[in-house]
Amino acid sequence: MNVIEVNDVTKIYNGGIKTPKVTALKNLTLNVSEGTIFGLLGPNGAGKTTLIKILLGITFQTIGTAKILGQDISNYRVKSKVGYLPENHKFPPYLTGEQLLKFTAQLTGTYEKNVNKKIYELLDLVKMTKWGKTKIKKYSKGMMQRLGLAQALVNDPALIFLDEPTDGVDPIGRKEIRDILLDLKSRGKTIFLNSHLLSEVELVSDRVAILNKGQLIQEGTVEELTTAKEVYKITFDDELNNEQVNGFSDYSLKPEGNKSYSVKVSDPEKLNKLIDDIRKKNINIKSIVPLRKSLEDMFISLIKESDKENKKYFNNNG
Amino acid sequence: MKNILTITRLTINEALARKNFIMFFIISTLVLLVILGVFVSTDIEELIGSIQLKGEKFHGDILSQLSQFFRLIIVMPLYAGGLFISIFSVSSFIPHLLEKGTVDIFLSKPISRPQLILGKYLGGIVVVLINVLYLVVGIWILTGWKFGNWDPAFLSTAFSITFAFSVLYALIIFIGILTQSSVLAMMLSYLIFFVLSPLLVNREKIAVFFGGKVLSVILDGLYYLIPQTSELGTITSRIAGADSIESFTPIYVSFAFIILVLAVSIIIFNKKDY
Ligand SMILES: Nc1ncnc2c1ncn2[C@@H]1O[C@H](COP(=O)(O)OP(=O)(O)OP(=O)(O)O)[C@@H](O)[C@H]1O
Ligand SMILES: [Mg+2]
Repeated sequence: MNVIEVNDVTKIYNGGIKTPKVTALKNLTLNVSEGTIFGLLGPNGAGKTTLIKILLGITFQTIGTAKILGQDISNYRVKSKVGYLPENHKFPPYLTGEQLLKFTAQLTGTYEKNVNKKIYELLDLVKMTKWGKTKIKKYSKGMMQRLGLAQALVNDPALIFLDEPTDGVDPIGRKEIRDILLDLKSRGKTIFLNSHLLSEVELVSDRVAILNKGQLIQEGTVEELTTAKEVYKITFDDELNNEQVNGFSDYSLKPEGNKSYSVKVSDPEKLNKLIDDIRKKNINIKSIVPLRKSLEDMFISLIKESDKENKKYFNNNG
Repeated sequence: MKNILTITRLTINEALARKNFIMFFIISTLVLLVILGVFVSTDIEELIGSIQLKGEKFHGDILSQLSQFFRLIIVMPLYAGGLFISIFSVSSFIPHLLEKGTVDIFLSKPISRPQLILGKYLGGIVVVLINVLYLVVGIWILTGWKFGNWDPAFLSTAFSITFAFSVLYALIIFIGILTQSSVLAMMLSYLIFFVLSPLLVNREKIAVFFGGKVLSVILDGLYYLIPQTSELGTITSRIAGADSIESFTPIYVSFAFIILVLAVSIIIFNKKDY
C-alpha cells in the first residue's frame, strides 16, 4: 500500500513586490510504500521542504493532488497519525523538554493518563532523560534535534516526516538516530527523510529520490541508483602489463587499483565478448562485478547532467 | 470543539509562561493597594460632613450613594487601563504563533486552521476575563467593605470590559494574520480606542463644523465600521452606576464586527502558505 501518493503536483510561490515568482515543484509524481524509509535528496532550494509542507497542509499546492495514509491531504484529521520534525523548528522556548512532549500530545489529541511514562520512554530513546526538566532555550542544537525527534514520535505515528533530522547532531548521535529510524521501520512505520547527508541516507533508506529545481530527476532503490549502468569492475589474478591493457582494441580498461580495471560496455553481449577475448589471452579472471558508485558521486553527476539539460533547453527556447 | 479548547488551554498556558498574567496581576494588585490606602486614610463621617458643609444634600441612603459615586469615578480609568494592558498582552499571540518554525508545528497537527484561530481567540478572552475579574472583584470588595454596598451590578462591568476587549482582539487577530506584526496590531487598537472611537461618537458635531454631506456620510460609515469602544465604555459606566442602558445598538454592532472580522481572518488564514 502507498502511504504517500503525490500526483502531478506543481507549486508556485507567488512573489511579492520585490521577490519573483518561484516554481518550487514542477509536475512531481511520487509514491512511498508502507513500512519503508524513503530518502529525498536534492541541493538547497530543490523543493524538498516544500513537498513535506504541502503534504502536511502547511503550504498549498498550486496544481495536482496528494494523499497521505489513503486520505486526501486536505483532510486535517489524518494528521493524528503523522509525526513531523520540521527544519529550523522553533519550539516554545519557555517549555521544558518534558512539557514540549506533553504539549505535542495535547495537540495531536493523544494526551492520556499514562502520558508521563510514554514521555520518559521517548526521552530515554533519544538520550535526553536528564534534560527533561530543563527549559528548551537552554538546549544545544543537537539536543534540540534529539528532542525534535522525540516530539515527532509522541502520537505513535504511522508516517513520520523528518526534515534534516541529523542537522547539528554529532557522529555518535547520528548513528543513534539511524538506529532509531531502523527500529521504527522494523515496527512497520513509514519514514520520509529529507537530507543532504548522502552517506547517511544511503545507510538507512530503502528508496531514494533526487529532486533538482523542483523536478524529480531520479528515483529508485539505493542499489539501482548507485549501480552505474554497463560499467563493470574486473579483477585479475595478476597486475596486467601495458601491452595487455591496450590489447583489447574495442574496449578501454581503466585501472581501479589492486589488480582491478573498470570497463564500459554497451550491452551484456559485449561483456561476454570481452570475457572471451581475455580468456583467449590466457589471463585469469578472479571476479567481475557491476561497478557501484557512492550515492554522493552519482548525486553530483546527476545534478550536473540535469543542470546541463536545463541550460540546453533554455538556450533552445530562449 | 475539543480542538478549539485544546488551543485555548495552550494559549492560557502560554500567557502564564510568558509572564503576561504576572504583569497584569502585579499592576492590578498595585491599583487595589492604592485604593485600599485611600479608603483606610479617609473617614466616612468626615467625608459626609465636608460634603454637607458645601451645601450638598443627600437623599436616602448616603453610604450607597457615596459608594455609587466612587465606583463611577473609578470605572472609566479601570476601563481604559484594563483595555490598555489587555491589548498589550495579547497583541503578540498571533505573531508568535505564525513565526517561522512555530507555525509548522501547529499546522502539522490534526487541528484545522479555523479551530486554531478560534482557540487563540477564546484563549485571549479567557486570559483577559480572569485578570479583569480579579481587578473588578477586588474593587467591589473594597467598596463593599468601606461603604457596606454589596450591589452585584458592578461585577458585570468585568464582562462588559472583556466584551469591549474581545471586539478589539478580533481586529488584533486580523492584523496579526495579515501582517504578522504585533506592534501594528497594538498601535491600530490604541488608535481606535483612544482617538477614532471617541471622535466618531461626536461625528455629527464634526460634520456640522466642517460642513458637507459627503463627510457626514463617510463619518457615519466609519462609525459603524470601526469598533465602538467608546459606546461600550459608556455602557460599562452605566452598569457601574446601576443606571439603565440607553441603547443596545453598540453591542449588536460590535457582535457583528467580531463575527465579520473573525470570518475574514479565517478565510485569509485558510489560504496562506507558511
Ligand atoms: N514561503 C515561501 N515563499 C516563497 N518562496 C519560498 C517559500 N518557501 C520556499 N520558497 C522557495 O521555494 C524553493 C524551494 O525551497 P525549499 O525550502 O522547499 O527547498 P529545500 O529543498 O528544502 O532546500 P534546503 O535543502 O536548503 O532546505 C526555494 O527557491 C525557496 O526560495
Ligand atoms: Mg529544506
